[in-house]
Amino acid sequence: MNNELRAQRKKEISSWILSLPALIWLLVFFLIPYFIILLYSFFESGIYDVEPILTLSAYKEVLTKPYISSFYLSIKLAFYTTVICLIAGYPVAYVIARASEKYKNLLIILIVIPFWTNFVIRIFSWRIFLAPDGLLNTMLIGLNFINDPIRLLRTDFAVLLVMVYVYLPYMILPLYSAIEKIDFSLLDAAMDLGANPIKAFLKITLPLSKQGILAGTILVFIPALGAYIIPQLVGNQNSLLIGQVITYKIKNIPRNWPVASALSFFLVLLIGVFLLVFYYLNKRVKQKGIIIDEE
Amino acid sequence: MKNKFGKFTGLTTFTLVLVFLYIPILLLIIYSFNNSRIISTWRGFTFKYYIELFQNREILLAFRNTMIIGCLTTIISTLLGIVSALALENKRFKGIKFFSGLIFLPLVMPDILLGISLALFFSFLKIEMGMLTVLIAHISFCLSYTIIVIQSRLEGFDYSLEEAAMDLGANKWQIFYKIKFPLMLPGIVAAALLSFTLSIDDFVITFFTSGRGFNTLPVYVEGAIRRGTITTINALSTLMIVFTIFLAVVSRRIRKYIL
Repeated sequence: MNNELRAQRKKEISSWILSLPALIWLLVFFLIPYFIILLYSFFESGIYDVEPILTLSAYKEVLTKPYISSFYLSIKLAFYTTVICLIAGYPVAYVIARASEKYKNLLIILIVIPFWTNFVIRIFSWRIFLAPDGLLNTMLIGLNFINDPIRLLRTDFAVLLVMVYVYLPYMILPLYSAIEKIDFSLLDAAMDLGANPIKAFLKITLPLSKQGILAGTILVFIPALGAYIIPQLVGNQNSLLIGQVITYKIKNIPRNWPVASALSFFLVLLIGVFLLVFYYLNKRVKQKGIIIDEE
Repeated sequence: MKNKFGKFTGLTTFTLVLVFLYIPILLLIIYSFNNSRIISTWRGFTFKYYIELFQNREILLAFRNTMIIGCLTTIISTLLGIVSALALENKRFKGIKFFSGLIFLPLVMPDILLGISLALFFSFLKIEMGMLTVLIAHISFCLSYTIIVIQSRLEGFDYSLEEAAMDLGANKWQIFYKIKFPLMLPGIVAAALLSFTLSIDDFVITFFTSGRGFNTLPVYVEGAIRRGTITTINALSTLMIVFTIFLAVVSRRIRKYIL
C-alpha cells in the first residue's frame, strides 16, 4: 500500500516535470499575451504605442457605430459562410462516406489537394478568376447574361465566396468522419418500414451526424470571424471586417493599440460565448444519444 | 433506385464542389505562363517569369527564411510534444485538466488573435521583432497540434508491455527506447509533418511578429500582391504548389514506410 502510494507520488512528480516545458511555453507565449491585450485596452493611446494611464476611452470608442457595424458584418459573413459550407459540404461528405472503401481515400485526397497550396496563394488565385476581364466575367458576357463586366472583386460577395472556398474542407472532413460511423442498415430498415428517403434522412442520418455538424461549424465559424487576409485581398475596402480594423489599428498610422486591444477583447468574448453555446449543445447531443440507445 | 434523387444530388454537388475547388488554382498555373503584364488577359506562352523568379534575391532569401523557420519550428514543437504527451499519459496527474485546457485553447482561437497578442507582448517587453519572434510565434501555434497528435497515438498503448519488460529486468530508458518510442514514432512523424506544413503555410501570425526586415515566402507574396508586382507571383505560386504537392507525396511515402 505504502509502496503504491509512493509510486503514485513519484509518477505525479515526473508528470509535472514532463509537462513543465510546454506548460511554461503556453503560459508565457499564449496566456500572458492575452493579458497584455486586456491591459492595453485600458490604456491611453500614445505617440509610439501606449501611455500607461488607466482609462475607459478605448471601450467608449469601440462602442461607436463604425466598429459595431464591422463586428456586425464579420458575424454576418461568418454565419453565411458556415451555412453555405454546411449545405454544400454535407452532400460531399455523404458521397465520400458512402463510397466503396477503394475510393474513399482517393476522394478525400481530391478534396484536400487544393489545401496543399499556400493560403495566401489560394486567396490570390481568385483575383484572376473574379477580375473585371477575368474568366467569370468573360463567361457571363459570352453567355449573354450581362453586357458589360460587373464588379465581382472587392465586394462582400467575393469575401463570402473565398471564405467558403478556404473553409469548406474544414466542414467536409468532420462531417465525413461523423457520417462514416453511421450504421446505414438503419436507413434501409426505416425505408423498409415505409419511410420515404427524405424522412429517413431527417430522422436518422441528420441526427446521427450532429456531432460532425457541431465540430465543422466551430472549425469554420471561428476562423471566418477573425478573417483578415481574405477581405484584405478580395473585399470591399469601404466596409471593413473586424480582423482588418484590428490590424489597421496595430500596423497602420495613426496607430491605436488600446482600441485594437479592446476590439480583440470583444472578439475573444464573442468566441467564448459561441464556444459555451456549443459546449452546451454538444452535451445535450451526447445525452440524447444515450436516451435513444436505451429505448 | 428508391434513392435515385438523393444519389443524383449528392454526385452533382460533389462534382460542382470539386470544380469550385480546382478552378482558381488551375487558372493561376495557366496564367503563370502568360506573356502579359496584365494578369487576366492571355498573350501567349512564356517561361520568362520563372527565370525572373530565380534572379530575384529577395524571393530566394524569403524561401530560405521559410525553410529555416519551418525546420526549427518542427524540431522544437515536436520535442515539446513528445515530452508533454508523456506527461499527459498519467491520467491521475493532478494538473491534467489545466494542462489540457491550455493545450486546447490555441486551437479554437483565430490566428489573428495569437498574432496580435504576441505582437503586443513583444513590444511590451521591448523585444525587437525578427527571426526569433517569428520562431517563437510559430512554435506557439504548432505546439498544441503536435501534443494532441502524439498523445492520441499513446491513447491505446498496452501498458502490460511495459510491465513485462520491467519484469524481464529492463530499466526505464530501455523501456522508453525499445518499446514506447517505436510505438510513438508514427505519431511523432505525423506531428512533425503537420507542424512543418502549418509553419510554411502561415501568413497572419508571421505578418504580425516578423517586423520590417524579415520575410517568409507567404509574407513576401502578400507584399508583392499589394505592391502590384503580380506577374512573377503566378510563377512563384505555381512553384510553391508543385513544392507542397511534392512534400505531401513524400510525407505519405514516409508515413507508409513507418507504419
